Amino acid sequence: MTEHVTEQQRRTDEPSAGPAEHRRGLSHGIAVTEGERPQKGVTRDKVFELVDVAVLYGGKPAVRDISLDVYRNNITALIGPSGCGKSTLIRCFNRMNDLIPSAEVQGQILYHGEDLYGPKVDPVQARKLIGMVFQKPNPFPKSIYDNIAFGPRTLGMKGDMDEIVERALRRGALWDEVKDRLHDNAYGMSGGQQQRLCIARCIAVEPDVILMDEPCSALDPISTGKIEDLMLELKDDYSIVIVTHNMQQAARISDMTAFLIVELDADEQNRWGRIIEYDETEKIFTNPSDKRTEDYVTGKVG
Amino acid sequence: MPEETRLHYQEELVELERRALEGLDLVVATLDRTIEAIENQDVELAELVIADDDRIDGRYLEIHQSILTLLATQAPVASDLRLISALLHVMKCMERMGDQCVNIGKLIPIAGHDPPADEEMLRDIVTMGKQARSLITQAKRAFADRDVGLARDLVRQDDVIDNLNRESFAIALRIGDEADRREWAMTMMLVARALERIGDNAVDVGEQVAFVVTGLFREFEDASHPGETAPQPTAQ
Repeated sequence: MTEHVTEQQRRTDEPSAGPAEHRRGLSHGIAVTEGERPQKGVTRDKVFELVDVAVLYGGKPAVRDISLDVYRNNITALIGPSGCGKSTLIRCFNRMNDLIPSAEVQGQILYHGEDLYGPKVDPVQARKLIGMVFQKPNPFPKSIYDNIAFGPRTLGMKGDMDEIVERALRRGALWDEVKDRLHDNAYGMSGGQQQRLCIARCIAVEPDVILMDEPCSALDPISTGKIEDLMLELKDDYSIVIVTHNMQQAARISDMTAFLIVELDADEQNRWGRIIEYDETEKIFTNPSDKRTEDYVTGKVG
Repeated sequence: MPEETRLHYQEELVELERRALEGLDLVVATLDRTIEAIENQDVELAELVIADDDRIDGRYLEIHQSILTLLATQAPVASDLRLISALLHVMKCMERMGDQCVNIGKLIPIAGHDPPADEEMLRDIVTMGKQARSLITQAKRAFADRDVGLARDLVRQDDVIDNLNRESFAIALRIGDEADRREWAMTMMLVARALERIGDNAVDVGEQVAFVVTGLFREFEDASHPGETAPQPTAQ
């Protein structure tokens, strides 16, 4: 979100779009109309289609040969050992890699059938529709209320701000805990509450997709349980992609799981991540097709 | 090369399987005594079979507890999870086979010390017992070797038991009018029934071998529709 704001501020010369335009789409290129809003329940409608995607840093691939479909109202988990490119991959879904000068995304990423990296797409709008929650909770050094109101205000969203804040905090399963101290500094909240605040802040700008990069790795089991419950509730209205090191978490909450491994070239000088298996989570954790998935999920190899 | 991890857990799983399959050896030993008791109409040996069932029940409880601990502490998945699920099933079969030996042990004294046995029928029933023993050892080997072909062959071997069971029934029907002989034959039919169930339990163990290897549970034969393909799961 921080990067999102920075870029937004950099583009002050551009007119900010009104709420109706936000709802319809992020720019001239990509559109999600109200009529297309996801229906409740798991579907097989594609939100993202990745075809032969590679991400290169300074010309060297970090991930390559990535082809997968992310489905609407699903929780899609990306799992794999350290360095396999899970975080690199999830950052492709809302063009966060654009913010790294040496990064280059190759291949095709379609968002609702439109090229996410097309010339007419505004990355700021993309990041509004495709929000992100990070490993470490990163609230602004402001009040709880202002944390939530920041995005809607910046984007010029119309409506009663008190209502927008309350709706987002309720959706983030935080309202009852903070309703009497909305103007306290967010830094006074517990880690778990801060993370739910970040999720609520993401929801406040009415996204379509929520990306989560290890959202629970800094949290205790109770806070983790609350975030997982929240994710299961949110998937009725949003599509969620999560990177997690916790395989049981992937097994508990996700509908689809992609398993990535690290590959080395012949002289072992270069390494990159690649998807080995992508299937329904139940299949991955009861009867995976690939021996390497089996060895990883059972913990035989690290 | 990726480094091997969770070695202690892997050792625990191997040990769990070893102890569980060893339970089938306990059943084989009990069945040997049971067959001997049938063959010699040995009431004392039959009582020993009944008393010895505690060892099988003890093993069942031990493995059950080990499985609960593994589930609680290691969160097994994939083939590990299938193995544990299969071992739970195999342990239940083991415990049931032990109980069938107890049932036989209780029937032998009813027949009495020097019963008016029909030699042909007794021979069939003893053959059934030996065939059931062979099925258990074959099921154990199929499990240990993850040999689905050997497991599927159990159905064919079990047919031998089923045929002998029908043959015994035919003998019992024409055994004559003498009350003592008729009573003995009826008691022996219950013994045959228990042995036939032991054979079925060994086939069930074989089905678990196929589950561990393939991840699909299919009965080798559908008892309610003989000769037809076994039913598919009703819900995913």
